[in-house]
Parts: sequence; structure tokens; C-alpha cells
Amino acid sequence: MKKYILIIKNVWSEMTTYRLNFALWRLRVNLQLLTMYFLWLAIIPTSGQFGSYNQSLMLTYILGGALLSTVIISSRSYGVGDHITQGDLSNYLIRPINYFAFWFAQDLGDKAMNISFAIFELTALFLILKPPFFIQTDPTFLILAAICAFVAVFLYFFLNFLIGLVGFWSPEVWAPRFIFIILITFFAGGLFPLDILPAPLYEIFKYLPFTYLIYFPLKVYLGQLYLQQILQGIATAAIWVLILYLIVKFVWNRGLKLYTAYGR
Amino acid sequence: MVGKIKKYLKIWWIMTAKVTQTAFVSRFGAAIFIIGKILRFAFFLMFLLILGSKTHRVADYSIFQIIFVFATFNIVDTTSQFFLREVYRFRYYVVSGEFDYFLTKPLSPLIRSLFGGSDILDLPILLLSVVFIVYSASQIGNISSPFVFLYIALLINALAIALAMHILVLGIGVMTTEIDHTIMIYRDITQMGRLPVDIYREPLSWILTFIIPVGIMITIPAKSFFGILSPQLVVLSLFISAIFLIASIRFWHFALKNYTSVSS
Repeated sequence: MKKYILIIKNVWSEMTTYRLNFALWRLRVNLQLLTMYFLWLAIIPTSGQFGSYNQSLMLTYILGGALLSTVIISSRSYGVGDHITQGDLSNYLIRPINYFAFWFAQDLGDKAMNISFAIFELTALFLILKPPFFIQTDPTFLILAAICAFVAVFLYFFLNFLIGLVGFWSPEVWAPRFIFIILITFFAGGLFPLDILPAPLYEIFKYLPFTYLIYFPLKVYLGQLYLQQILQGIATAAIWVLILYLIVKFVWNRGLKLYTAYGR
Repeated sequence: MVGKIKKYLKIWWIMTAKVTQTAFVSRFGAAIFIIGKILRFAFFLMFLLILGSKTHRVADYSIFQIIFVFATFNIVDTTSQFFLREVYRFRYYVVSGEFDYFLTKPLSPLIRSLFGGSDILDLPILLLSVVFIVYSASQIGNISSPFVFLYIALLINALAIALAMHILVLGIGVMTTEIDHTIMIYRDITQMGRLPVDIYREPLSWILTFIIPVGIMITIPAKSFFGILSPQLVVLSLFISAIFLIASIRFWHFALKNYTSVSS
């Protein structure tokens, strides 16, 4: 356990070493958030409605989505593909560490750093913009939303890891990741709540893993789902985690048989 | 002068041919990138159509006017990316010391750094944008040729501002070696122009028009096409782009004077 805590600490040291880089990254994150915030503010007037969302709920969704993206989407495990294609994986295979746990610890370090900044930034934005924020007071919804976010962290980790494993078969690891980022941007629910999509499309989305990354935890937080729907959603997300874990394990084992440490 | 232009055109052509060959070394990667770009275009268009289906008008704009603005954004964004892709590779030249060779060759280092090879993978989006401009224009109706000419003139003006922004980024890169985030911050801000900037609240709308001239780059050309632009704004747009271009070139020369060639 000690070595994984050390990995988390290393991520922090690395991020604080390249301070300008990190500061500009956070600036970008906030610019993207403000773009969506002002867009929805323009679309829904104060007393207006958009689907099942009034202005307060929609802005809560967008700001909550920004915080949740920081918790779930921020990660380091995009480096798996580069490790494989550049032969750096060999260095880790011979060390007494679990390669999956190594990347998960890296992700945790990255998330912890981003969350600490996001809390500070969002507080500042709240004080400046004074948005009509919906505060959930029912502890049941709060606990269930936290559980959904917890499951989503694992869901994203395995999805992200799986994309990196393409490196065993092709040196072109960034092209599939480009598509992955686009899919996540639109279908995880960070830009808009997925239930504004046409009903047949939304019904399909309910069965895809992306839905459970940002949209579902936020929907639970907003208290817009019945308990049975929430439990069904958590079960679906948990099944996806299990399926993705098994796929990642299978692909990893197959990939290792092909791995030639090319580049080393 | 004509001879000089011919020389630079020839150099641009040769470098673009080489960059294109590199891009197609992995046909799989090239195909995935093109698909990704088309998906991103399609998903945002779908988002706009959903907005249109629920609100019919966004602020004072009809849905086809909104699509026209989005396609205009893509024309400006993609054309500048197509021609100025070398800016995205500039950091490597500075940190590796290769930039020194730009300075010793009988070529303008600025032109070499800006136009060192166009990205052919941007062409499909460029064509798609033109198709959507023509289609949405035909749906808006009431097209008059003076407005079309004014629109094209203001698009060229927008590209001049984009050029100025890229020169500014290069200058910052020479002085700080920070390019990747700076160029992405520019792109994140221009993303606000995917919709007309006057739908945003003040002072954001004003800032996006006159301080960070996203409005001048995208909204103003589109408004000229709709015939709802005052002549004063046309003159102001030309004036602002001239100021930006002159200031950015001066900044580039200032940055070059401070270049220490420390990496070489």
C-alpha cells in the first residue's frame, strides 16, 4: 500500500513542478465550463423551462457536471498506450507492482489535485456569478449520488485503460482516444443532460456505460429519479464495471503475448 | 514581390505534401481522425437541432441562423487550423533547438513557423461546413449578393484575426516555450463563437466582441449575411483586425529579440 501512496505523492510533485502547465489546464477547464454555463443561461430564461429542467436545475446540472468531470474524467491512465508502444511497459512488468494499481494510484493523485483546485474555483465562480443553485437536502439522494460517482470512477478507469490497450495491436493510440474523448464529451452528459435527447435515443443510452459517468450521478443528486430507477441504474453501472474489468483482463493477457518491447 | 510569393507558395506546397505523406503513414489513424472530426461536427449539430426542436428560436435567432453561425465558426476554425497547423508543432522546434535553423535559412522564420505544412485531415470538415452554410442559407432565404460579398470579406477579416492570434501564440512560445495550452485556450475561447455571441449576457458579449474578438470573427460575418449588421460595425471589425495583426507582428519581433536559443 505504501508504494501506491508514494505514487500518488509523486503525481502531486510532478504537477506542482509544472505549475504553469497545470494552471493553464485549469484555466481551460474553467473556460469550457463557462461556455456551457452562459449558453444555458441564454437558452433558459429565469422563469423558463427546457424539458424537465428549469434554469436553476439546468445550471446546477452544468456546474455539478464540471465538479463531477473533475472527479471522474480527470485521469493519467491515458499513458497506458504510450507505455506499450514505446516499450516502457517492460520497466513496469519487472517491478514488484501491480500495473493496474499503479495507474489507478496515478489517477487518484491526479483527481485529488484537480478536485482541490475545482472546489476553490467553483467557490469563486459561485461568489462571482451567484447562480440559482439547487441544493439537495435529502441525505438519501446525496448518499446514492456519491455511490453512483464512486462506481463511475471505476467505470471510466476501465474504459480509459481499454482504449490504451489498443497499443498492443497498433502504434496509433491517439486516434482511437480522440474518438473516445468525443464520445465521452457528448454522451457522458457533461454538455447537456441526456434526457433532453429524443426518447428512443435516450432509451438506448440507458444501456450504454457513458450514461453512468456524469449524467446519472447528477440526475440522482437532483432528485429526479425514483429509488427503483436509481437502484436499477447503479446495478447497470456495476455490471458494466464487471464486464469492462473482464474485457480489460482478457485484452491485457492477449496483448502481453504479442508485446515485443518495441522501442526498448 | 511576385517571385517571393511564388517561392513561399512552392515551399508551402512541398511541406504540405510531406506532412500529408506523414499523416497517411498510418491510414487507420488518418481515417479515425477524420471520422472523429466528422462525429464532433455531427454531435454538436445534433445538439443544436435538439435546442431548435424545443425552443424554435435561441435568443433572436432562428434555428437555421444558428446552424449558419455554427458552420461559419467551423469555416474559420478549420481554415485556420488547416493552414496554420505548424503552430501546433512549434513547441518541439523551440525546446529541441531546431528553431535556430529556421532563423538561419533564407526564409521568414514567421512564415516558416506558421505555414510549415497544412493538415489535409481538416479538408472534409471544411467541405462539410461549406455544405451546411449553403444549405442553411437556402433555408434562411432572402439572400442578396452584396451581403454575400460582405460576408466573404468579413470571413477573410476573421482569418486575419485568427492569423494574428496564432502569431501571438508563437511569440509566447518563443519567450516561454508554452504553446500547447495557449493555443488550446485560444480555441476554447473561440468555441464560444459556435453560437452568436450576442446571446450571452453583458459584459461577456461585449468582451467576446471587442476584447477577445470572437464575435468579430464569427458572429459579425454571419450577421452581415443576415443583413442585420450596421456599417459602423463593419468598419470597426476591419479596424480591430488591423490593430490585432500589427500588434501581434510587433510582439513576434519583440519575442525574437528575446530568444535565447537556450535549447540548442
